Amino acid sequence: MNTRKSLKFSTTTQRENGVITVSLRGELDLSAAPDFRKVMDPLVGIDDADLVLNLKELKYIDSTGIGIFLSILKARHGMNSKFYVQEVPDHIRKLFEMTGIAKFFAEQENSQ
Amino acid sequence: MIEETERIVISLPATAEYVDIVRLNLYGIASKMGFSYEEIEDMKVAVSEACNNTVLYAYKQDAGKMEITFEILTDALSITVKDEGESFEPWRQAGGVTLHEKELSEAPIGGLGFYLMQALMDDVRVETQSGQGTRVTMVRRLQRSEEKV
Repeated sequence: MNTRKSLKFSTTTQRENGVITVSLRGELDLSAAPDFRKVMDPLVGIDDADLVLNLKELKYIDSTGIGIFLSILKARHGMNSKFYVQEVPDHIRKLFEMTGIAKFFAEQENSQ
Repeated sequence: MIEETERIVISLPATAEYVDIVRLNLYGIASKMGFSYEEIEDMKVAVSEACNNTVLYAYKQDAGKMEITFEILTDALSITVKDEGESFEPWRQAGGVTLHEKELSEAPIGGLGFYLMQALMDDVRVETQSGQGTRVTMVRRLQRSEEKV
């Protein structure tokens, strides 16, 4: 069922003014996780730009996706490079707050 | 008075590609019952976490099935995710952790799934019998809500 996967979840990446923005669309679940990791792996190590996820079109996330976000946060924190989220839908923000990952994004966004 | 229960059972291959089918079924059933959009979003995550656990841990490398039972009660929806795999529960052993009170460097990547499941449902019960798999039963009560799907 490989064809369905790509319809369910997709990303677009753009770099502008020292910010790499990855826009997520669809459902980031267990089946989409490998694709998402493939997109993010080469970006995580870039230290001369902020890395931002735009979640406006993200319809679903669970602990699989939140776990990936957390591992990216750890890697970027170790490099002193920023990683944060923007345009987070309400039901996804709720999960970020429940799990506690929200405060790490807030720290990143507000750091110099 | 005898409480009537309507039961919907679906059996699926325990692979990541089928977890969204569970969410689609849940959406249909829960919206028919009158759950709000937000309540359904909560349940989608909780049920997916249970299915993810089955997909990741129940059968190791072998092919297996997951059976999802939706029970429509008078004032609640009960969802059971059952597998016949090994009784291996790394998520539960992780204790349902959260990242609150933790520094980023010490934040565990795993364990969030079980926590979310408990936090998003009114009642969660996990039964494991060695050699007979795991059964996770989750209940969400129906609130009288104005925001219907």
